[in-house]
Amino acid sequence: MAVASTLTPEQAKARRSRREGRRRILRHVALLAWTGFIVFPIYWMVMTSFKDSGEWVTWPPNWLPREPTLLNYSQIFAFSQLDASQARQATEQSFTIWKGLGDSVLVCTTASLVSLLLGTFLAYSISRFNVGGKYFRHTILTIRMIPPIVIAISILMYYAIIIPYVTSALIGIRISLFDTYIGLILIYTVTTLPFVIWMMLTFIDEVPYTLEHAARMMGASRMTVIWKIVLPLVASGMVVTFLFVFILNWAEFLLALTLTHPDVTTLTVLLNKFQSASEGRLYGPQAAIGTMITIPVVILGMLIQGHLVKGFSFGTIRK
Amino acid sequence: MTHTTTGTHLASGKTRPLGAPARLAKWLASERVFRLIPFVLVEGLFIVTILIPFALTIWISMLKWRANRPFETAVFSGLDNYAGVLENEQFWFSVGRTFYFAGVAVALELLIGFFLAMMVTNCTRSKKLYTTIFLVPMMIVPIVVGYNFSMIYIDSGPLNQLLSPFLERFGIDPRIRWLSHPVAAQWAIIIADVWQWTSLTFLIFLSGFAALPRQLINAARVMGASPMQIFFRVQLPLLKPAIAIAVVIRSMEALKMFDPVVLLTFGGPGTSTQTVAYFLWEQVWQFNKFSFGAAASILLLFLFSFLIFAGIFTIIRQRNAIAGGR
Repeated sequence: MAVASTLTPEQAKARRSRREGRRRILRHVALLAWTGFIVFPIYWMVMTSFKDSGEWVTWPPNWLPREPTLLNYSQIFAFSQLDASQARQATEQSFTIWKGLGDSVLVCTTASLVSLLLGTFLAYSISRFNVGGKYFRHTILTIRMIPPIVIAISILMYYAIIIPYVTSALIGIRISLFDTYIGLILIYTVTTLPFVIWMMLTFIDEVPYTLEHAARMMGASRMTVIWKIVLPLVASGMVVTFLFVFILNWAEFLLALTLTHPDVTTLTVLLNKFQSASEGRLYGPQAAIGTMITIPVVILGMLIQGHLVKGFSFGTIRK
Repeated sequence: MTHTTTGTHLASGKTRPLGAPARLAKWLASERVFRLIPFVLVEGLFIVTILIPFALTIWISMLKWRANRPFETAVFSGLDNYAGVLENEQFWFSVGRTFYFAGVAVALELLIGFFLAMMVTNCTRSKKLYTTIFLVPMMIVPIVVGYNFSMIYIDSGPLNQLLSPFLERFGIDPRIRWLSHPVAAQWAIIIADVWQWTSLTFLIFLSGFAALPRQLINAARVMGASPMQIFFRVQLPLLKPAIAIAVVIRSMEALKMFDPVVLLTFGGPGTSTQTVAYFLWEQVWQFNKFSFGAAASILLLFLFSFLIFAGIFTIIRQRNAIAGGR
């Protein structure tokens, strides 16, 4: 205090601003350090995807590819069997991601659309009529909280054993949902439904009921009200929800790994295949696939950034 | 059958009885029924894809059966599988390990996320830039994160290169195989999880900080509270709902940890990084021990159900607290 009292107000202000400035520098150092930590693994993957096989695991590692090459990309995007210029001795397995890409897009799009459709209408019912009781919107979360491995085990037995067993007993044909598109789409739909219901509830709850009421008074049917009033108002919300659920499905690994082999191959399973390749790991193509999986999700994620947390936090946080 | 077309004359044809499809359509459109259609559809889907498989899992868990034999030959064995799981120490170790990973990872994520959010809140110009960068990990596919870190930890990877000047001074070969050492491999998985999911806690806390009422803090400052007092007495209590939600959501997800384990270590070295999800996956898909896996998954669900209900309860309460506060 004795020191402070000898200072003129200007000096005190200068000292305070100096301390403030030092704090700001410290803050930026810490934030930049975290930025580096965040960026580095992504940077390393992108760089590896441009390296040729000789550079994947050299010591000391190269931070920039010495001879940048697009070979990894041309390998994974090859349409036919690799010709001599692209084949590598150690890597004579099928590389192309077209099958994985197609399967991923097909499964994720269909599952997201179906669950969006069902979830939106159920969310409307819950929001307007309290269908299923007061706590239904919360109990639906239990489905999301069941560990996926538990679902995977029971679904595996259901798809691979019980359904063929029952169908062959009843109608004489063995129908198995294991390793089929329908099976995977079905389980993706179910596991993402809670998210859809939660996100759509937050959007539909915001649509004023008076609007609907007015339309009903004027003789519009319930279906017309939904189609002409509610859906246009929550259309942007539906797009956001669709993208969010699409990202979730796109990133899903455990269920795809356990419920499909070898016919249906999503991109995440494909990436894992290279991990356990018996000829030694194929870092380059893996990096290229990783980059290709990442880019669309990051772009979609950026588009719905604010809503992403709404989904991940079950609507508890509003941005 | 001629009446099936009368649906189009709905308005005019008062005297004629409606055909079956039209009557069905009318019945479906009536308020009483209409509100239940989506509910029935979704519940039906849940019953077919979750409940029935689950009941079958309980049944299979009481059989003595491996997948390499036909299902018809399986014999009933009561609760033998459950006893087998309870006696299996690998199961318990993996459960303990899962909780250990989740505990450490979630604690780190909360701490780092909290301080990052606090620092970013104080930034003015660069706030948006930092937020955008810090949110990227959340959008990256977990399996790609596992791959990225597996590249960084390999013996000739960049991590060892960064450490090499330091290690060579002590005469240690810098090409350390991080993932071959039990403790280092465990930390490798934890760090990968922290890398990815700190972004979520960061965002939860960021919106928590943004929602803090200015007047309250200003009032405390005017009345002479020190920054420490403001932080501990005003801000922290107000942030409690955000903290609770972050804890619940993150621990729920962390307890399911599977992807980084597969990509980084395959549960190894030994069993030092086997989470419970990985342990069950190995038992069922590698060793074909179906009925053992079924019993273990039932037990696991039972074990988790308390957590699930506690989590949902917390979410309801904190959500109401947030809604009430506005």
